[in-house]
Amino acid sequence: MTPPIIRVNNLTAGFADRIVLRDISFDVQRGEVFVIVGGSGSGKSTLLKHMIGLYRPQCGTVCIEGEDIVAAHGPERISILRKIGVSFQTGALFGSMSILDNVRLPLEAHTDLPKQATAMIARMKLQLVSLGDAADRMPAELSGGMRKRAAIARAMALDPLILFLDEPSAGLDPVLSAELDSLLLDLSRMLHVTLVVVTHELDSIFTIADRVLMLDGATQTIAAEGPLLKLLAHANPQVRRFFAPNKEQM
Amino acid sequence: MSNFQLTPAGDRVTLSLRGRLDAYSISAIWREASEALTGIDSPRVVIDGTQIDYCDTSGAAMLLDLAQISRAAGAETEFANLPEQAQQLLGLFDPTKLAAQSQQVGRSSWPERIGQWGSNVGNEIVTLVSFVGEAASALVIALRHPVRIRWGDAVRIAREAGVDALPIVSLISFLIGVILAFQAATAMSRFGAEVFVADLVGLAVLRELGPLMTTILLAGRSGAAFAAELGTMKVNEEIDALSTLGFEPVRFLAVPRILATVAVIPVLTVYANLIGLIGGAIVMMGFGISLVSYYQELLGMLDLSDLLTGLGKSLLFGVIVAGVGCLRGLQAGHGAAAVGRSATSAVVSAIVLIVAVDGLFTVIFYYAGI
Repeated sequence: MTPPIIRVNNLTAGFADRIVLRDISFDVQRGEVFVIVGGSGSGKSTLLKHMIGLYRPQCGTVCIEGEDIVAAHGPERISILRKIGVSFQTGALFGSMSILDNVRLPLEAHTDLPKQATAMIARMKLQLVSLGDAADRMPAELSGGMRKRAAIARAMALDPLILFLDEPSAGLDPVLSAELDSLLLDLSRMLHVTLVVVTHELDSIFTIADRVLMLDGATQTIAAEGPLLKLLAHANPQVRRFFAPNKEQM
Repeated sequence: MSNFQLTPAGDRVTLSLRGRLDAYSISAIWREASEALTGIDSPRVVIDGTQIDYCDTSGAAMLLDLAQISRAAGAETEFANLPEQAQQLLGLFDPTKLAAQSQQVGRSSWPERIGQWGSNVGNEIVTLVSFVGEAASALVIALRHPVRIRWGDAVRIAREAGVDALPIVSLISFLIGVILAFQAATAMSRFGAEVFVADLVGLAVLRELGPLMTTILLAGRSGAAFAAELGTMKVNEEIDALSTLGFEPVRFLAVPRILATVAVIPVLTVYANLIGLIGGAIVMMGFGISLVSYYQELLGMLDLSDLLTGLGKSLLFGVIVAGVGCLRGLQAGHGAAAVGRSATSAVVSAIVLIVAVDGLFTVIFYYAGI
């Protein structure tokens, strides 16, 4: 069996004296779509931010391709960060730059490609997320859904091995949400990108998830983990209830 | 070894690409292959991908660009033996649309820019006039119904704009007094007229520098803060929420700020005047002029009108600082950069207006003999 692309080991995290995640361990396999779910305040976004090295855990490790992102510094950390792309909940686009420049930024910072090439690559990424015609617009001129798609384009700028997405389809209409799910599946299939998605959207979970990890906000631990089918028949009624509204889709 | 090879064979040229085609590895190959294909003299070009190990979207971008360059040189161009991954990726993009989108970027012509500038200036004037009207009407309504004023906010703003500003006002006013006295004393000591330095310091501080410096400090601290606070509220849609709740943003947000500023600025100005005069007194003592002589000289030179003209101006300056700060905040666009621009614009506009109004007052007072 190939080693996991991400290994989270005994992660305990929180803010000051409040524990949010307690002794969390799981693996993400290369090329899979791994979905993190849980109730509001269960620590999904906190877990994601630990996985991308933004927060330091109280204890435990997060390894990306065998390298600990928590312990890494300097060039070692940069080399790990090049393997990942992140799309934040609110998009986090740079307001002073056009959408095109937002997507070009990582290309210009981390490669020695000429400007014309970075512009072309950025336009292709924007075409992928159906924003080709909005390339020269500023983030403030875009709708919430367009901002999210632009953020995904920026996260994909360097074709990372792993794409982390925090609530990518929240606030999108069903058609756009389905298109986004389809895009994510295309990325996963064609580029073998590993996707780690935090989401509440049951439709998206049913469409894209290879495996699901459900967090339990009350115990700050993992409530369940595995393929969706396994979770739908889980012994814990709380887990079954979470997916219940979509039971008939099975 | 180069990662591409150009092989002419009969009526065609084959561009063979090798290895990994991703954002980190294609820079040199893209540049060199583009140069090789530009103006190529062959009716047919085949871009061969037999030896490509990996190709992501950056690699696909290069393939599309190379094909475009080759076609622009008049060669019939085709891809051959591309890995499946590259073929799937190329299938996702529409090269014609991509080329059209890159052509769309263009700067507007200078007549358009002049027209745009004129329109912006016009809009700015309309906004300013309408804000002044709205704020004046809101102030009148607020003063007729004082219970509807948000006094809690007004007191907090007055404390932040007034009490919290005391240290910086003290420092700047003291130094202004010292600098003014030193500069004047250096010149006047040649004529043995050091005692008249008190007259200069007194007049300059009370009529001009006290009100002016206090207001400039207020613009830097509070005007910028008003713009940033209201700008952030605008970005967070809090101002839209206020409107939908039936509040007028100007009455709800600008009135307490204008009232608080108008309330603290005369006090700050009097305080700044006093500290400035103390600064001057300390320098004068260094020149052998006693405190009593300095005081008597001031009393002889100054009268109440000097203080009142300064205070009158400072009241108007206060309205300008608070009004401009609120206006710029309410005008903020979207995003963090817009908040920064609002704060900068609030300070710059307020200072320009204050200096202009001060100049106007100076001329009016001169001809009115005040």
